[in-house]
Amino acid sequence: MNTAATTTTDEHADSHDHEHHDPRLAHHFDSHQQQFDTGKLGIWIFLVTEVLFFSGLFGFYAVYRSLHPEVFLYASQFLDTTLGAANTVVLLFSSLTMAWGVRCAQLGQSRGLLVCLVTTLACAAIFLGVKSFEYTEKAHHHLLPGRAYQSPEHHDAAAHATAADGETAAAAKEAEAAEASVHGDHGDESLFEKTKHTLSYMTTVLWGVIVLSGIAFGLLFKNPNKKTLATIAGCVLVSAIGMQLGAFSSIGYHQLGHAEKPTDEEIELAETVPAEYAKQKEKIPEPMLARTFFSVYFCMTGVHAIHIIGGMIAISWLIVRTVHGAFTTYYFGAVDFVGLYWHLVDLIWIYLFPLLYLIN
Amino acid sequence: MATVVDSSNPKSDFPIQYRELNYLNCTKGWKSWFFTLDHKRIGIMYLIGVTVAFFLGGLFAVLLRTELLSPEKMFLSADGYNQMFTLHGAIMTFLVIIPGVPAAIGNIILPVMLGAKDVAFPRMNLGSFYLWMAGAAFFLAALALGGLDTGWTFYTPYSVTTGTAVRTALLGVFILGFSSIFTGLNFIVTIHTMRPPGMTWFKMPLFLWALYATALIQVLATPVLGITGLLLIVEKTFEIGIFDPRLGGDPVLFQHFFWFYSHPAVYVMILPAMGVISEVIAVHSRKHIFGYRFIAYSSIAIAVFGFLVWGHHMFVSGQSKVVAVVFSAITFSVSIPSAIKVFNWLTTMYKGSIRFTTAMCYALAFLFIFSIGGLTGLFLATLATDIHLHDTYFVVAHFHYVMMGSSLVGLFAAVHHWWPKMTGKMFNEFWGRIACLGVFLGFNLTFFPQFLLGTRGMPRRYYTYLPEFQNLHVMSTCGAYLLGLSSALMAATLIYSVYRGKLAPANPWGGASLEWQCSSPPPHNNFDHPPLAGDPYVMESVVYNEEIGGYVPVECQGANKGSVTASGDNEA
Ligand code: HEM
Ligand SMILES: [Cu+2]
Repeated sequence: MNTAATTTTDEHADSHDHEHHDPRLAHHFDSHQQQFDTGKLGIWIFLVTEVLFFSGLFGFYAVYRSLHPEVFLYASQFLDTTLGAANTVVLLFSSLTMAWGVRCAQLGQSRGLLVCLVTTLACAAIFLGVKSFEYTEKAHHHLLPGRAYQSPEHHDAAAHATAADGETAAAAKEAEAAEASVHGDHGDESLFEKTKHTLSYMTTVLWGVIVLSGIAFGLLFKNPNKKTLATIAGCVLVSAIGMQLGAFSSIGYHQLGHAEKPTDEEIELAETVPAEYAKQKEKIPEPMLARTFFSVYFCMTGVHAIHIIGGMIAISWLIVRTVHGAFTTYYFGAVDFVGLYWHLVDLIWIYLFPLLYLIN
Repeated sequence: MATVVDSSNPKSDFPIQYRELNYLNCTKGWKSWFFTLDHKRIGIMYLIGVTVAFFLGGLFAVLLRTELLSPEKMFLSADGYNQMFTLHGAIMTFLVIIPGVPAAIGNIILPVMLGAKDVAFPRMNLGSFYLWMAGAAFFLAALALGGLDTGWTFYTPYSVTTGTAVRTALLGVFILGFSSIFTGLNFIVTIHTMRPPGMTWFKMPLFLWALYATALIQVLATPVLGITGLLLIVEKTFEIGIFDPRLGGDPVLFQHFFWFYSHPAVYVMILPAMGVISEVIAVHSRKHIFGYRFIAYSSIAIAVFGFLVWGHHMFVSGQSKVVAVVFSAITFSVSIPSAIKVFNWLTTMYKGSIRFTTAMCYALAFLFIFSIGGLTGLFLATLATDIHLHDTYFVVAHFHYVMMGSSLVGLFAAVHHWWPKMTGKMFNEFWGRIACLGVFLGFNLTFFPQFLLGTRGMPRRYYTYLPEFQNLHVMSTCGAYLLGLSSALMAATLIYSVYRGKLAPANPWGGASLEWQCSSPPPHNNFDHPPLAGDPYVMESVVYNEEIGGYVPVECQGANKGSVTASGDNEA
């Protein structure tokens, strides 16, 4: 597959010799080429399983979107396209740096590799920072999956709930109670303040992490025996800074005047599109089903975010190995494989973004 | 009997029969087992785990059958009965049959058959074993946390509303799924990249083809089960309205997701067993396998078609008629590759010199039972008859004929066929055959009456029944006891051989594939040099040698008379 891997010269004629001279070649392989091909095939198959794993979610999306198109139309209004787009750009850029890193590894440029990997890690962290702002904001609007969901049009929800039959009466009471508790901060301003307030827990913790990992990194940096620990501290530092950056830029973006809740006109506008939907206008929004959208949203982006975190761990592991000089021109498989994984995680986001944010 | 070793005696022409240092004893202590990266040791650990799970699931089965001796309540309440058949089914499917042949036998044999030193990713291999253990632990936890009463299928909406430990069990299934995926991934890569010189795709033993097809299914179907289980957990926890109709969800969607995995999964269970049968029948009939390419391609065909038939489990779940007809038609076509295999096995035996070794006896039992199981599948695939037979004992009998009678009997055949290779010991053929006879008779006595019960309208998953069904139920229960005792006898025979059995030669049955070329049990690294692979079914390439008590390559026969003893593993 890759020409660089063929440059290996140290194939053992005497392959049962237990003392491999090259610690980079596992004992059950005959050559670096074989080892590389094996890993490459393995990662591709793994990616296939990942795609299938997500395909369950996409299937679920397809079924519900075709069953209840109006729900998707209505509810996707509440997702912030700008933040979604910003995250898309961040991830695309991180794919670039990752690919660049693989190139550096093939050419044996370990300094370049390090820079690329650290940038990729930082981008991943920024993505998570923005995502945590979005999640917090959704939570304060009660745009949550399942029972936690509350119609954005609170009074409607209450009316619906009281009209509902006995089975949902308990849920209705619950909803009313919840509504009563949040009554008074209906305004966009106060909701935004609440979001900011909740996020401040995260940012405070992140400040702490930044300081601690910064100190650890500073102390360990010079000690040649503590390379691994120092690098891990460095990776934590980069991740924390990245997340902080993401969170604060989203807060700043909102502060610059932005309506996070669609106005009635906006909703109406959205509703005019499919004729069928317009006919149902009186009955909408149907909160019982609108929450299905947020179920889809949280399941899909949540599983994706878990994959981002997994990728960050893998990239940090690569950074540690790079610092130890593990990769050379004929041994760079791990970088290549994590890179492929990272591209897939990006690709999934590239699908999620339009499917969730850009409806209508 | 002479034991032969080469490193100490370069004059010997015989292949090494036995090494004092082999994979079983080259390192000692529990750590050398629990942290081993050796595929053979991992396989042995799987085998032990699968056996324990099998006897646990079997215990549940015996209790279930005992309850059914009489239409009145004996000792299980309706709820207790529900929980017991659920755990029986879940344990047998996810912990026994799915990992049985691929993870246990496949792990031990596949790399040796390939002449490789190990699987492609030894660490992932160990990891998948630990995932299996974790999954098993979750199942036990589900048992302790109040059981599970949904049936192994976890159908919604009941699974969303029941108060039993659905989440714990689903987490177990999720984890076991990943164990299975990693095993499959490992096998695909190993077969692609680590074949020895001379082994082209069509010189591969058919067991490897079968494992390859199985691995494809494991990799392509299991992730869907994983995400489905996860979604059901989320549904149950946060009530997100995916599968729960009260919240606007679609319960039939769950059935689609579930069977999209679980139908292919039945081929994960049967394909490796079919691979075993191809090996066993050829070796013990001393004849080249008939229709090699047909058997190989039919494995792949089964794997591919297996993905297109899941709807046949949902004929009465409210599918559209057109869809039902299409699924029915494709289901019929799946039986074609299965039948191709059966015909080829029969033709292989034709004019062969068949030896009724224990492994061969199990293979013959497989042929008989699988034919019945497969043919009754066609009754179920027919729309009109399935309306009547769905959710009756007929279905129960059908899938026990294919899962227990075929997949597990295939596993038994594999264990007996490769036992000398795995343990280095010969078991007692007499008791082995008695156990096989008991398994065969007990099995048919248990499940044949269930076909009759089903056609007469006995529904499945009930702890009670109309009095007129009692005779057949009692017959079935008696069969279950015989089956249980015979399996215990089989296990006892095998375990006894580990301590008291004769030392096994390298090639006791006269197989021509690579695993018979290395000593029994194999050394840590299997082969010193990657061996040269030829046609794995030319049985004339080996001849019996009195002195050794096993088969040796024709080239060596008569050349050497010297008696030599083992001196150790050259790896040490
Ligand atoms: C040879 C071709 C086969 C055909 C045509 C076939 C057909 C069917 C059909 C139509 C059903 C659904 C019956 C119903 O629920 O009404 C069914 C159920 C089942 N089959 Fe097969 N089958 C075949 C082979 C196998 C094999 C090889 C296995 C496993 C090793 C298997 C395992 C099962 C299981 C486990 C069920 C029932 C699952 C449940 O409802 O709990 N089948 N089969
Ligand atoms: Cu099926």
